[in-house]
Amino acid sequence: MDLVLQLLFTGIGIGAVYALVALGFVLIFRATNVVNFAQGEFSMVAAYLMVVFSVDLGWPYWLSFLIALAGMALFGVIFNLGVYYPLRHRTYLPVIIATIGASILLSNSVLAIYGPQPQVLQGWFDTPGIQLGPVYLDSQYLLIIGVTILLVLFNFWFFEKTLLGKKLQATSQDKEMASLLGISVSTMIMITFIYSAVLGGLAGILVAPVLFVSIQMGSTIALKAFAATIIGGFGDVAGAIVGGLALGVIETFGAAYISVPYKDGFAFLVLIAFLVFRPQGIFGERVAEKA
Amino acid sequence: MKLTRREFSAGLAAGLAAPALMRSAWAQGATIKIGMCVPVTGPAAEQGLWAQNGAKLALAAVNKAGGVLGKQVELVIEDDQTTNPGIVLAFSKLAAQSDIVAFLGSIRSTQVQAMAPDVIKVGKPVMIGGTNPDLTHSGNPWLFRFRPNDNYSGRVIADFGVNTLGKKKWAIVHSTDAFGTAGGKALSEALTKLGAPPVLDQGYANQSQDFTPVVLAVKQSGADVLGTYFTFENDLGIFARQLRQLGVNIPWVGSPSVVAVSSTKLAGPALFNTYGVADFAEDSSDAAKAFGKAYRDAYKTAPDNQSAWPYDAITILSAAINKAGSTDPNKIRDAILATQKFAGAEGEYNFDKNGDGLHGYNVVKNDKGKIVYDKHIDFND
Repeated sequence: MDLVLQLLFTGIGIGAVYALVALGFVLIFRATNVVNFAQGEFSMVAAYLMVVFSVDLGWPYWLSFLIALAGMALFGVIFNLGVYYPLRHRTYLPVIIATIGASILLSNSVLAIYGPQPQVLQGWFDTPGIQLGPVYLDSQYLLIIGVTILLVLFNFWFFEKTLLGKKLQATSQDKEMASLLGISVSTMIMITFIYSAVLGGLAGILVAPVLFVSIQMGSTIALKAFAATIIGGFGDVAGAIVGGLALGVIETFGAAYISVPYKDGFAFLVLIAFLVFRPQGIFGERVAEKA
Repeated sequence: MKLTRREFSAGLAAGLAAPALMRSAWAQGATIKIGMCVPVTGPAAEQGLWAQNGAKLALAAVNKAGGVLGKQVELVIEDDQTTNPGIVLAFSKLAAQSDIVAFLGSIRSTQVQAMAPDVIKVGKPVMIGGTNPDLTHSGNPWLFRFRPNDNYSGRVIADFGVNTLGKKKWAIVHSTDAFGTAGGKALSEALTKLGAPPVLDQGYANQSQDFTPVVLAVKQSGADVLGTYFTFENDLGIFARQLRQLGVNIPWVGSPSVVAVSSTKLAGPALFNTYGVADFAEDSSDAAKAFGKAYRDAYKTAPDNQSAWPYDAITILSAAINKAGSTDPNKIRDAILATQKFAGAEGEYNFDKNGDGLHGYNVVKNDKGKIVYDKHIDFND
């Protein structure tokens, strides 16, 4: 039983990381109908920004955190203007290729500046974790789970209760109709990119103390997060969260009880099962019609 | 003046032959050339620079002591771009210069494998640092290794854990890539020979974000000592932290990555008191200390294995050519293989018939973040 509880905690913790990145995928997909393959690099860039401010410049952690997130908002604007906006009237394919190109550019730029050695970023708390009976709770994972719960509540409130959220929803459902109703579609898409960049950045900063800051950190999480979005249902916010958590728990238990080397295999086995038997995912619309 | 046809032919022949003769005469009077394939560009460019530093340091000492066969030695460097096609190209460029008598290859096994067929064709000695045992065991007579091969790391980890630490219940954790699988197998075999077969042999896939299942498997196995082969330092860092968090504090003896500078930095206190094997340890011998001092004086920074093996390679190769008394490849080969009890920076060289110079490793310990030398373990076979 102790073992099960320990595995469950870790599974939910790592699943919450997937969920945060998956959320970024979903938001951009809903607004633009394309998958942003640079989403993982958003996390990586934010983690390196934290290293610059908090480690290299020695600024206070909270201040570095706020500046890094503000930097990510700006980054979202640049990404939208540089990668999506010039191609917005084309089909989804050139845009997807452009995001892949951006992802390669970002990881190699950071490699050129920082080199291949991983960097250390301290966690938010001084205590590494707490022992609760037989289970060890890593403080950083507790923070990640807490932030994920808050974001679920925030997203619900934002998209369902605020005018801006409703405008964003309208844009993602039908751009022409939204435009006829006086909603500025390009502004809404800009806001979506900013929000996704901040979300991806938040995931990167939260996970950096656990996984270290490295060039590959984004791409390895993004691959799982992508699987999580498909399992949850592409285009569904709740689906991204549930898909991410489910994936984290499944792979952790699969590794513990079946085989450690095939840990990643379980995640993708579940993905294949969903694509075959329920391509629309747990909550979402039919994937086959879209991407 | 009338030129006969015979005179014209003779003159033409002389004219054509003259540059070649002159070059040959000049070459004989000039230097002894050694070619070096090294990363000048690509991901390992920095390590490539350390390798050049090590080689140049040895070269300066050799030339100061009178050179080789009475001539100064010259290093001809070619960029291998840290890639397999890159080193093949670099080696063929160097091999085209017929006055180069021997070469330094790569510290990467995969690159040595890529250039090996051309090495056989060229038929001149090539010094290498790659540690895959097969490189010198595949019938290629021209490869000479200046680092201990991977067979020895498993044996040293097992010997140290069983005989020095007195631990018999082993858990092995290794990456499932080529390096980790081979290492884990070598360690498992060595332990079985010592009468302590492992109670757990656990593989993991590279770039795992979480090692909780692995740590719990180690915990449940009841092992009293841990042996590891980690490929990537960030994997090692995550594993080390989770291991300590979940309360596993058994002794740990690992492959070189456990004591690598970046792992020490990433994992911090989680790696304190762990042991690792290392082919170069500055405090392991007088020769290593002397090399360390010379390197620090010349480059104002600490040396590591990247610079130690080229240093040894140039030193031993130069001595071998002097002993051979000629630049004939076969004579140089015999002289290198005859090198015994030579105290180098990496350890004592006793070349075997395969071309392996070293047969053991140093064991070093992480003492509160500082890597200190513990002992050297050598084998006779």
